[in-house]
Amino acid sequence: MPIRFNGEFEVKRTPEEVYDFLTDPSKFAPLLPEYQGMSVQDPTHFTVKVNVGVSYIKGVADVKMELTQSDRPKRAEYKGQGSVAGGNVSLVAGFDLAPATEGTKVVWQGEAQVFGRLTSVAGGLLEPLGRKQLQKLIDGLQAALANQAPKTQEMST
Amino acid sequence: MSGNGSSWVGKPLARKEENRLLRGRGRFADDIKMREMLYLRFVRSPYAHAKITRIDTSAAEALPGVIATLTGPEIEKHVQPFIEIAPDPAGKIKDYPLAISKVRYQGEPVAAVIAETAAIADDGAELVEVEYEALDPVVDAEQALTDSSILHEEAGTNKIWNGVFEYGDVEQAFRDATYVVNIDKLHFHRFSSTPLENNVIIGQWDPKDEHIYYWCNNSFPSFAIQFLSAHLNVHIDRIRVVTADIGGSFGIKITSYPQMAVCALASKKAGGRPIKWVETRSEHMTSSAHGNERTFRDTKVALDKDGVITAISSRHIDDCGAYPRYEPLGCVIWSQVFPGVYRFKNARIDFSQAVTNKCPVGPNRGYSRMQHLWFLERVVDICAHELDIPSDQMRLRNYIRTEEFPYTTPNGCVYDSGNYPKMLEIAKGLIGWESWKQRQQEALQQGRRIGIGIGTTLDSGTNNFGQSQIVNPGAPFSGNSQGANCKLDIYGEVVVAVGSCPQGQGHETTAAQVVADVLNIHPDMISVRTGFDTERNVHTGFSGTYASQFAVSGLSAVHGAAQKLKAEMKRLAALVLETTEDDIEFGTGTQGPELKARSTGKSINYWGLANIVNVNSAVLPPELHEITLNCRYIWRAPFKVPDKVKKYGSLTLTYASQLHIAVIEIEPDTFIPRILDYVAVDDCGTVINPPIVEGQVYGATAHGIGAALMENCVYDAVGNMLTSTFSDYIPITAANMPKVKYGHIQTPSPHSYSGAKGMGEGGAAPIHTISAALQDALFADGIIIDDSFNNADSLFRALVSKEVGRYSEIVRLERRG
Repeated sequence: MPIRFNGEFEVKRTPEEVYDFLTDPSKFAPLLPEYQGMSVQDPTHFTVKVNVGVSYIKGVADVKMELTQSDRPKRAEYKGQGSVAGGNVSLVAGFDLAPATEGTKVVWQGEAQVFGRLTSVAGGLLEPLGRKQLQKLIDGLQAALANQAPKTQEMST
Repeated sequence: MSGNGSSWVGKPLARKEENRLLRGRGRFADDIKMREMLYLRFVRSPYAHAKITRIDTSAAEALPGVIATLTGPEIEKHVQPFIEIAPDPAGKIKDYPLAISKVRYQGEPVAAVIAETAAIADDGAELVEVEYEALDPVVDAEQALTDSSILHEEAGTNKIWNGVFEYGDVEQAFRDATYVVNIDKLHFHRFSSTPLENNVIIGQWDPKDEHIYYWCNNSFPSFAIQFLSAHLNVHIDRIRVVTADIGGSFGIKITSYPQMAVCALASKKAGGRPIKWVETRSEHMTSSAHGNERTFRDTKVALDKDGVITAISSRHIDDCGAYPRYEPLGCVIWSQVFPGVYRFKNARIDFSQAVTNKCPVGPNRGYSRMQHLWFLERVVDICAHELDIPSDQMRLRNYIRTEEFPYTTPNGCVYDSGNYPKMLEIAKGLIGWESWKQRQQEALQQGRRIGIGIGTTLDSGTNNFGQSQIVNPGAPFSGNSQGANCKLDIYGEVVVAVGSCPQGQGHETTAAQVVADVLNIHPDMISVRTGFDTERNVHTGFSGTYASQFAVSGLSAVHGAAQKLKAEMKRLAALVLETTEDDIEFGTGTQGPELKARSTGKSINYWGLANIVNVNSAVLPPELHEITLNCRYIWRAPFKVPDKVKKYGSLTLTYASQLHIAVIEIEPDTFIPRILDYVAVDDCGTVINPPIVEGQVYGATAHGIGAALMENCVYDAVGNMLTSTFSDYIPITAANMPKVKYGHIQTPSPHSYSGAKGMGEGGAAPIHTISAALQDALFADGIIIDDSFNNADSLFRALVSKEVGRYSEIVRLERRG
């Protein structure tokens, strides 16, 4: 089953500044949870190495990321696909930006799908683990952008 | 001279096999270690449905200790797709043992890594890079039939087979009915078998003689070699399969031939070194084989004023997983028990089978019949509740009557013998029916839910492979046969070889009992060879252990071979003892087993006879040169090819029956269904060996209880199997088993020489019985048991959150009278 996440926050930056940050792999990628390193293929493709660990399945996943939508300064969307022992992971993360009173409102949506033995072994742990990791990403993103706490946070599956 | 003087068949002889198995001297496939042996590990798909866009094995091949890798595109150049049993368009499906360009279920092998050790093979498999492009998966058979996402483009449809089985005058029966019960949907869940020993294969493609050698635990080798020969382009006589002790199969190990193919190809690539593959438990759960899942739609049942069922009309959809393999035989095998144990003559079943993005199915204890029998038992219980007829009375009104045997079913099968009312009487007595009925009422007053359920079922044995022509008129199979060999070796030992490959069914013991009776000696004086070997030359194209048949086909072959040996021994002894054949008697003397002339008292022991034929043959007169004391016999079942258009004919030789009763309480706080009492009554005709029969009854009962309450192959919406370990798929163990009260009757079969009927699968009686008991406990709550799998979670969802089993949404009664 896909795990879906969404939420929104505001930062004291212009939409253009937020957009440029989000679409710059060298700034965005290190915010990914358990980030170990990256290599950039071209302006819209990069591969990040992240640590993955659920129960006894531990390893490094190579996640190939692609910036699939880029509409400056309104929207950016990434798609990613990676493999790790016991499974494959695919994810989509989109960011819609709109001017707000004190900067930019960022509305984000994400969907992660895990395939393979990992789903069976991790079972019900996958969703809370996913929430935890995503929270880290959003927290890191906000801190990097404006050091502001998110206004709201919703998650659903 | 003394003989036993009475029959060994029917005696509770201790199993000959125990002597080695209980002392740890069994020889299983993984015990075999060979010089220069390599190890194979599969790389498997994490996706249920995806295109393979890239496979890179270079990193694996660079790992020290890795000898070679194999991928689908590589082997495609050297092999043919496996034979498909289905007619076109499903017959166009191309099934290879490694995925070629797309994967169709999670766990499908994509590549293989061959290495010096199993650990290196594991590490090498981790280094194989595979890129996929995910496709829409289909995990529901009804959805699959819409062809919204096609699994096999070459077939162009997900439908494997469809056929209508119609008998009698269904329309007239519904016009005449007093009551019509409509049941929207019932569902038989997917579960598997969990043998202690997983699949194990050692394969060697020997370049010296271009023969392929297998040491493995496949349970239907003669079927496997037919598939492998065509697939590998190797003459079938150049494929040797040897099995020894097997730690359970339950049918699931029949379909290991794709992995056998990969081991042979890997050996060829590795220069002829033997290749061992030992399946892990997770591999077994995700990708060996599962039992068939089946959905029953739009069922209509016509009944007369007394609750006698006069007609059934229904639409059945079977889910065979990603590749048909042994299917679509399951589309017709259920019709061996078309009316179950009931007397209705009018019926129409529209049967379809579809592929889905799940593990391929394979024969699984009770194969294809149990789904149908569960359906019939649900129909009977739902109708009984609708018409307020007690479940035992409902059955007595509908059972085939004892005096009607041999009974011809509407589709031409001949039930050999049986006495279902008697079995019900015995079961009710053993469980204390009236007492439990009273306690059930008392419990109800206390707010406790107790249900009492009956399951009556059949175990059809020795099938007619001509039924394959009903699903594919071009299929080259019909009848059934089994081979055996009985000989005196050079030193006079009686040695028996059979074409079966037992996995705990006691074939060595029962074969010895049969031969002991023929030769009038003790079974301990008879050696029965363990396991299966194609080079023993006693197999036919049907040889293996499956479909409840050894007591009939196997032992008939053994009996025939022993009779041939006996005739030769008698003829030879008459010459040596200078008397007539009629004067010869068989028995045991001071020098072991012997033949004696009654008139003179002169005798010759087995060594003496064997010596003449084997090493002293110059003394033989020419007219006795044909005597070999090495007698092969092929037994053939007296079947005809069924009528393919009418789908009519005898499909099975014997029909063992089972009647179980369960008393179950649903715990009020936890919703855990607890078995309070359980009875199993069995009728397999003449019993060859009572403890072996009783053991198989317990085994089948355990298997069925596990399936009903604990074991369920769960997939999520994208085809991830969520129950791939024993943490989530919980097999039944002794700790979960209730005490089972056992009873039996014997109605000898007129269709076998001994009166025995094949048994061991048990008709999955506990699944029917437990569903019936839960139905009984919950009907007052407006709940229908519409699924064969029920646990605390599903009962909670029925009783509290009211998500499933809603009576008003499932059942509708029409009163026409």
